[in-house]
Amino acid sequence: MLKPGDPAPPFDLPCALDDKLTHLSLASIRSEIVVLFFYPRDFSFICPTEVIGFHKAQAAFKAEQTSIVGISVDDAETHRRWARELGGIGYPLLADEGGKVARTFGIFDEKQNVALRASFILDAKRTILYAVVSPTNVGRSVSETLRVVCALRSGKLCPADWEPGNDFGPTDAKY
Amino acid sequence: MAAPNPEENRRTFDRLANIREIVFGVQDGVLTTAGVLAGLSGAVSVRSQVILAALASTVAGALSMGAGAYLGRHAESAVLRSELDRVRRESADQPYVVQESLLDALAKEGLSRETGYRVVKLLSSSPNSLYSTAEEKIYGMTATTFGNAIVEGLLMGVAFLVGALVPLLPFVLIASVRTGLIAGLATTAITLFAVGYIFEGHLSGARQPSLAGLRFLAIALSAATIGYVIGLLIAPIGTVPAG
Repeated sequence: MLKPGDPAPPFDLPCALDDKLTHLSLASIRSEIVVLFFYPRDFSFICPTEVIGFHKAQAAFKAEQTSIVGISVDDAETHRRWARELGGIGYPLLADEGGKVARTFGIFDEKQNVALRASFILDAKRTILYAVVSPTNVGRSVSETLRVVCALRSGKLCPADWEPGNDFGPTDAKY
Repeated sequence: MAAPNPEENRRTFDRLANIREIVFGVQDGVLTTAGVLAGLSGAVSVRSQVILAALASTVAGALSMGAGAYLGRHAESAVLRSELDRVRRESADQPYVVQESLLDALAKEGLSRETGYRVVKLLSSSPNSLYSTAEEKIYGMTATTFGNAIVEGLLMGVAFLVGALVPLLPFVLIASVRTGLIAGLATTAITLFAVGYIFEGHLSGARQPSLAGLRFLAIALSAATIGYVIGLLIAPIGTVPAG
């Protein structure tokens, strides 16, 4: 699995966005930060809580100059139907059929043939700043992802349980 | 065509699920009693004593088999119900896990993931429907899994009793010990064949029910013969040398 400091592998994949089928490459994303979250499958009962959660928090992420990108091994048409099923998703769902991109990030489950529940936060140079993998049956915390984005953008040392608006720690300390 | 009646269908399956007790009981009753009659006829000269011993063996066997079936099923059901309660408690805490597991099970049966998702979502509107379907699809539990300990115990006991009467009645009705025994063994063989023919052949829709009958007869007689041979082999061990 890739770790903080590694360059994010480039990709150019079909995707579903705003009920349309299109393409998206990492290089074409203009935002300062990118949250790339892999999830196992469309039409499942844990993933939608994350997919919807990121959708609902999209404005908060946008305020932090952050784009959200979802990615799974489903094809783009399935993504489109899945997004419709969820009432519309405002960020792209990438179709990583066969899991090639998931493999380059080192988070492909060869037994299940799906991506692990992994999140990567990338900076402006598309270097990985943060990487985390959750167990398949435990959904990620959208608010925690946003908290980490805010902490990373602050450029300061943030103590444990730091929240946006809280004091930063002493500059001579490391956490 | 009349619409299928789920309750009637379920009762039919419950009845069919009890075939095990009937077959087991009859087979055991027939063979045990035939063995007792054959063994005692050679060792005891008084015919009435053979009959009394066989009757005692029959009653004891029927009670033992009935009680065994009841206790076995009762214990199994208690353990399974306890496990099921644990699963249900966990399911209530983590319904997503049940939904995902059920979705996987349906996908393995051939439903597309998208269709399976919609089915599980519909089932989720009624927790009882979701859990009962999940219990069947994920854990393989059905209504017949738990059975009815009392019914199964009674069936087993009665089946043993009926089976025991097969070799016993000719022995009681025919005055000659030797002829009675031969008639009893003949009815035993016919009954074993008939049980296999009816339950394994006819009711299961086999193409050649006769083969099922012969198979049943062969297995039952083989078991009896092996037991008899082992008895002959170990008999000298218990013999006290004269003098």
